[in-house]
Amino acid sequence: MKMKKVAALTLAAVMGLSLAACSGGDAGGTQAAGGAKAGAGAGDGQTGVDQVVINFFHRWPNDPKNSMFKELIDQYMKENPNVTINMDCILNDQYKEKIRMVVSTDEVPDIFSSWSGTFAQEMIASGNVTPLNEMFEADTEWSGKIAQASVDGFTFEGQIYGVPWSQDGKVFWYNKKIFADNNIQVPTTWNEFIAVLDTLKAAGYETPVVEGLSDNWAILHYLGTMNQRMVDPEVLAKDYDAATGEFTDPAYVEVLKKWQQLTTYMGDTCVAIDHEAARNNYFATGQAPIMYLQLAEIPHVEKVIPEDFEYGFFNFPAFEEGKGDVNALTGAPEGFMISNKAKYPEECQKFLKWLVSKNGGEALTTQCGDISSVDGAVDETNALPSQLEAMDLIKSASTLAPWFDNACDASVYTVYGQGAQAIATGDETPESVMKQVQEAAASLH
Amino acid sequence: MEALAFTVPALAILGVFVFYPLVRNIIYSFQSFTLSSVTKEWVGLKNYATLFSDKVILTCLKNNILYALISIVIQVGFGLVLAAVLEDVAFRKLAPTLRSIYFIPTVISMTVVCLLFDFIYDPQMGLLNSFLEVIGLEGLTKIWLGSKKTAMYAVIAVSQWQSTGYVAMLFIVAIQKIPHDLYEAAEVDGASKIKRFFYITVPQVRQMFFVTMILTVSGAFTVFNEPYILTGGGPGTATMVLSLHMYQTGFVKNNMGYASTIAMLIFVITAILSSVQFFSFGAEKEER
Repeated sequence: MKMKKVAALTLAAVMGLSLAACSGGDAGGTQAAGGAKAGAGAGDGQTGVDQVVINFFHRWPNDPKNSMFKELIDQYMKENPNVTINMDCILNDQYKEKIRMVVSTDEVPDIFSSWSGTFAQEMIASGNVTPLNEMFEADTEWSGKIAQASVDGFTFEGQIYGVPWSQDGKVFWYNKKIFADNNIQVPTTWNEFIAVLDTLKAAGYETPVVEGLSDNWAILHYLGTMNQRMVDPEVLAKDYDAATGEFTDPAYVEVLKKWQQLTTYMGDTCVAIDHEAARNNYFATGQAPIMYLQLAEIPHVEKVIPEDFEYGFFNFPAFEEGKGDVNALTGAPEGFMISNKAKYPEECQKFLKWLVSKNGGEALTTQCGDISSVDGAVDETNALPSQLEAMDLIKSASTLAPWFDNACDASVYTVYGQGAQAIATGDETPESVMKQVQEAAASLH
Repeated sequence: MEALAFTVPALAILGVFVFYPLVRNIIYSFQSFTLSSVTKEWVGLKNYATLFSDKVILTCLKNNILYALISIVIQVGFGLVLAAVLEDVAFRKLAPTLRSIYFIPTVISMTVVCLLFDFIYDPQMGLLNSFLEVIGLEGLTKIWLGSKKTAMYAVIAVSQWQSTGYVAMLFIVAIQKIPHDLYEAAEVDGASKIKRFFYITVPQVRQMFFVTMILTVSGAFTVFNEPYILTGGGPGTATMVLSLHMYQTGFVKNNMGYASTIAMLIFVITAILSSVQFFSFGAEKEER
């Protein structure tokens, strides 16, 4: 009886193994077939015009951007009949996961979209991203139109690794009418800002400034800017680097104290609503006169505001005791990278140069409302005044300070975001949160 | 021999989709790597050391246990009562309609349910606070999802609303299998409805009781959707649960090795729960 069982198990194991072997063989077979197909494709190219296939992978499967890309690509393929562009796209978080998985393999797409900052660094660390310095130097007429601050976001140790496509910045938006009615000037320093909030509160606005704090990223956008304004840039650079981060400077606690102060002006419900709800139900309705919003949100706001609603922008006020550059603007470009495994690198560059110019730039701003990285892509005739003001704001910024969640390791900013949320609900203190941040930073090295 | 041939496909599928990933996960839990890293660094027990010093894990465990306890009381306890009531003669006519109504939440997609509850809990315009105001209980209105004290209960309540009907349905099936003469005999002996429930229904559905217990408890330890959609683990880490912590560690913090270690913790907990189920069923059978 026992022997029989043993025999049965052995047999099962053998069969299992042979099954695995079979499937292994199968996979090999398909691969070989795929190779043959690719070979045949190349053969076709030799007989006729050189047929170029470019794999293009981005993160905008939603309209209007998806159809805009489709139209642009159709137009390009019509102008260049020898080029076929295979476009593929998935949404943000899934995009991050997928591109992280394929970037270090042979499956890496020829052209793919990337954020600047740490995400770009991660892509570059795979060793599969081509430096584009020559591309920028060879055609200054084209590259001269690309916003320099945005190119900087893709430049690491003197090497340019990406072509910036869109740019964004975060500023305070204010309700012009409410400001005028209450005789309020745009504040430039933190104390002036707090005074403005007090005036508004006295005038009956229960939430002078609003944010949806259930969105961690919205909190992180605040903290990123506040750290940049307050902390010594050298200390900040050292702490944001995962290998050397300590976060022991007392200025960090000071920032969280200011954050605590700020949340007292956001009303009791802010912790339970998200960013969109805050924007659409509070700012756009005039209930909250001030909100910290991205310039890329212009089309969203335009959709929900009443007709006579006028809004203006001002950059984050300076801290009186701050050590950071007060003319910096928190924001970042997004752009495209070319893989060094691309079969036709020159064709990829040619396509990107065509796309990141007035062709794509105008479409991006007029159809989707995003701020293009191309200077002169739009003017008064086809863009909203606020979009032009936004372009000027970005251009006049001394530098673009990256989003907090692009500037340092996720282990650090996750703790930061959760902690700042708990400060707003009164469950943590600035000191206790910084202690957790220090622990998280220490665990990275 | 034939028996063997029939088991091989199942074994192969289990092997490829369950045992192989499990073994790989055990190996991963001793390594340190990200999604894009080319090589995996062997770090020994470092991830496990992190696991035991991670304060968030404690919050997660507390929340998961709370989830399990409330689920047992409401889904299993109240679900059984609901089933018994629906199977009572007095409800004969209404029962089919009510059964469908109670079952409907189960077939709605979790995401839809969570978005729905997001509206219900909204502090300003939400149904719950508005309802409390209408009936004169303004004092009880709360920022349900934005306060450390209420957020976890608010999240748990969603699952109760959704799953109680399902558990009740399982109990209804079990109650329908109870021989009718038991009730008739008890009625002749003068047992009240409540007595019949405790002395006939409860002992007779014991088997189903174990099944639903294990279903709800292991469900409570692997819960992900509700906190992920409703609160994202916040405010702070107040509504963090094990699977959400695992997801954030792996896919947000990009620390796949430690995420695998958290997965091992979830595996150990659910494995223990499953063996409890396994052995209690074994005991049941021997009794007969």
